[in-house]
Amino acid sequence: MSKLVKLPLILLGAALAFFVVTFTVYFFNLDMKATALLAPVLEKWYDRLERKQYI
Amino acid sequence: MKTVETLVNPVKRTGEQSPGKIYNEKLKVRARREWRGFKDTFYDYTRWLYLMSVLGRFILVPRNVKGFFRYRWMMSYLFVPHGMDKFTIGLRDEALRIAHTSFNFVIADVTQAIANCFRGDRRVGNDKAYSDKCVLTDENSMVTFMMGFDTDKVHTILREVPTMFASNIFHQFNVMHYLDIAQQYGIPGDVCPMPEAEAGISIDDDFCVLGCCAVQNNTTCDGSLMGNGIIAKRLEREYGIPTFQLATPLRHKEPDVLEYAAREIKEAIAFVEKHTGEKWDWDVYFTSAKRVNDATRCRIAQMEINSTPYPQFFGAAFSLYNDTNYMGNSGRNADFVKIDHKLLALAEKGYAAKRMYAKEYRHRCIVWGVQPQYIIDQLYWLVQCWGVVPLTDMLSVVNTDMIAEEDTPENREQAYRDMAMLNMEMIMRNHTHGGFRVLVDELWELCEKMNADMVMMWEHMSCKALTGMHGQFEEQARERGIHLMWVSHDLCDPRVFTRQAIRDQVNSYMRTVMREEPLDPSLENIPDNEAY
Amino acid sequence: MRDLKHLLYFENLLQEANNALVAQAKADGRVCIAYTCENVPEPLLNLAGTCSVRLFAPHTGSMDIATYYMTNLLCEPSRALLERAIEGGYSFADCVITPDGCTMLNRAVENMELLETMGKDNPKFFHEYMEIAFKNTESDVALSVLQCQNHILTPLQKNYGIDVSDEAIRKAVAEHNRLCELIRAIGDFRKGDQPRITGYEFHVLCLATYVCPAYLVLDKLEATLKELKTRKPDDKPWRARVLLVGSEVDDSGLVKLIEEQGAFVCCDRFCFGSYPGRVPIQLNDQEDALTQVCRHYVQNCQCPRMMNQEKVYGRKQYVAELAKEYGADGIIYEQVKFCDPWAYERTLGAAMLEQDYGYPVLSVDRPYNIAASAGQMRTRVQAFVESIEIKKIQRGGKA
Repeated sequence: MSKLVKLPLILLGAALAFFVVTFTVYFFNLDMKATALLAPVLEKWYDRLERKQYI
Repeated sequence: MKTVETLVNPVKRTGEQSPGKIYNEKLKVRARREWRGFKDTFYDYTRWLYLMSVLGRFILVPRNVKGFFRYRWMMSYLFVPHGMDKFTIGLRDEALRIAHTSFNFVIADVTQAIANCFRGDRRVGNDKAYSDKCVLTDENSMVTFMMGFDTDKVHTILREVPTMFASNIFHQFNVMHYLDIAQQYGIPGDVCPMPEAEAGISIDDDFCVLGCCAVQNNTTCDGSLMGNGIIAKRLEREYGIPTFQLATPLRHKEPDVLEYAAREIKEAIAFVEKHTGEKWDWDVYFTSAKRVNDATRCRIAQMEINSTPYPQFFGAAFSLYNDTNYMGNSGRNADFVKIDHKLLALAEKGYAAKRMYAKEYRHRCIVWGVQPQYIIDQLYWLVQCWGVVPLTDMLSVVNTDMIAEEDTPENREQAYRDMAMLNMEMIMRNHTHGGFRVLVDELWELCEKMNADMVMMWEHMSCKALTGMHGQFEEQARERGIHLMWVSHDLCDPRVFTRQAIRDQVNSYMRTVMREEPLDPSLENIPDNEAY
Repeated sequence: MRDLKHLLYFENLLQEANNALVAQAKADGRVCIAYTCENVPEPLLNLAGTCSVRLFAPHTGSMDIATYYMTNLLCEPSRALLERAIEGGYSFADCVITPDGCTMLNRAVENMELLETMGKDNPKFFHEYMEIAFKNTESDVALSVLQCQNHILTPLQKNYGIDVSDEAIRKAVAEHNRLCELIRAIGDFRKGDQPRITGYEFHVLCLATYVCPAYLVLDKLEATLKELKTRKPDDKPWRARVLLVGSEVDDSGLVKLIEEQGAFVCCDRFCFGSYPGRVPIQLNDQEDALTQVCRHYVQNCQCPRMMNQEKVYGRKQYVAELAKEYGADGIIYEQVKFCDPWAYERTLGAAMLEQDYGYPVLSVDRPYNIAASAGQMRTRVQAFVESIEIKKIQRGGKA
């Protein structure tokens, strides 16, 4: 197969794969589910930070 | 009692019929996103991609990563897509596009605001040359006094917007930490939580530190005025950032306060000139003034569409955009003009197609009072669960007068009065201050104008200007035959009223007083009290 | 100490808003001007033919009706005033002049207007709302002048034919100053180790000067001043001397309660107290009296609502200076519950007076009528007095 035909196919395949992956993440809300898991860890991080707290 | 004719939607909604089913209590986020039919789901997906690209581009900058791990409130911005889902619950067609267009623009604006904060922040980017041209302003303040400064030369930093105001929308628990800090240091729990949280952020040293000066304002209430003192003390005494207090009269409908307000604007401008070393430019001002007038015309047109049987502008995404445009922008950014017209075109298209966004429209409702940040999707819920159409909210009912936009010697003097008028009539304070006529009487006028039979009254527990008229609202609504539904909340603190506790007040009213059944029972109880 | 001869007389005057002197002023044909905020220039309300009566609500019990109108989240003074107005307690008023100072009192008066609680039989009756200064600049003085002109002088002249000339204002200021000098002189007896007047007694006298027509209390004040000059002070020393700062104290019971715990209230810096409300106004002949009166109020105002940082820091300095002048060992910052301005002011004030000026501070909220929560307040004050005593011992002094 010539490069000229192969390239668009690769691009199309990549676009399709991108769509499938991102749409799956989007539809099943995987991005926010992962974030919800991360949040408690981050909260502990912020709690540990030293701050100059005064009025 | 006043009644309006029930309108039945002849078109069945595409895709999912019961969006209430996608909530999952354990996950703290939705189990999945809403299926809106192929066309609208794909559109929603592309907007999600856009949001991810905005967030992705932001986090690729190393100083933003540093800022992310320094500031607690930054965690909220991980939940921006979750926030977007709140704004689009059950929406299709033009309403979905209006929500996305307005909200995505706000997100891009807030993201830029955070990036600007981090760039100048002494702890993060520490770009001193940039910081020396930055002016800090209040979150709830009009920035009219910046309308004549070239935006490339002087940067207006609404430091409290990303830190407190917007972050609370994406993550309902975010502000609790700062409220606890403020109360730990002695501020009582009965003051308005918004300025209290801002004071808490300052006490907790969680504000970015940048700018050559700051301008504070007595924006909406005694609490906002008083919180400024605590914030200014740290700004001035610890960080050496001079602050100017821009005094804005409260009785803004009285002509005898205008000259004072105009003098204050002049003082604020002189203060900014002194500290930034930049000069006020009348060309820049009058260009901004034209944009302000353009936005006003669009807003009037929007109100007209919403006065018809087929309103098109719904809920918080749109009102949030209006807030950003009216107060945070004040004509300084040309991009808002394009968005204004795009939103209007979408609404006109929806109106021409007689588009409805629920199975039935049973009641036409004015939403009055101050909305809680942590249940920002309430108005979408209201129309889809109960068929109560929110025609407009108090925060969106702002100035409709045109300001001088031609550069003449007389208009240069008039300009100070125009800026002062806009400043006095900033969002919320134009109703909560200025006497009972602007709070109570104007509500009934609006009900008449927009043919509303119902008022949903947000009773923010600590908003004393509003609750101070509680009995008057009750009695006058009864006299006028308007259904008045009280919904109490606490603006930023979900521990006082949870989301479901807020919805239950509507559920009870609709079932017991109105004796109605919900249009979509799946929405009556949503397990999202613990959700972000 | 022996009781002051006229103390009971003054105490009786504080039993109700519509007291014997208000009735006498009405009988004298005076126009009774009701007002609610100390930012209203008092001499302008006491021109020839008028008298000012500051609204208060002694012995407040149930506030159910006012709570219906304003919810239980508004400060108790605002609800107490509205309740009393609805009950008809202020029927003597010929007009109400109020500034849009704090939101809650403003709303209370607006409700009074909407509910037509006063002036039903008086066609000349009016309500006026004023904008008041936010900062201590000349621009604010100009604002104040315009507001006083439009919302005090013009309506009084138009509705009641009152003489509002420069001469009339100067005369009113002279009378006002006479009252202020009397209160200042009486208050000075609180200085020193052996005060000849208690904080409670002083509070009763001072409060009476606001809630009664001033011209009718002068003789008794003069007699009291004379009496104090020869009054023998108690030998028993007070455990501590405290300066009371904060929201309006309409209930002398609060001061009494503090003093019962051994803390002598040596100075007052609260709304409608003697500082800054009873500081004489100095007039010159070069400038009109109205402008000078307004400048006095703008410059001397210690209201938390004054928002420029010079004023914000200046208020704390003012308190520290008073504490020094009156020899206070500690400061009590009090805030009537739900009062937003004083909520923030006492937080920042307590921190600054402690950190920057080294005073022990008790920061506390309280009900309008102290009887509603006397036990809690007593415990707080007792602990504060003990902490002051411990500090004194630690510094090597006597408790």
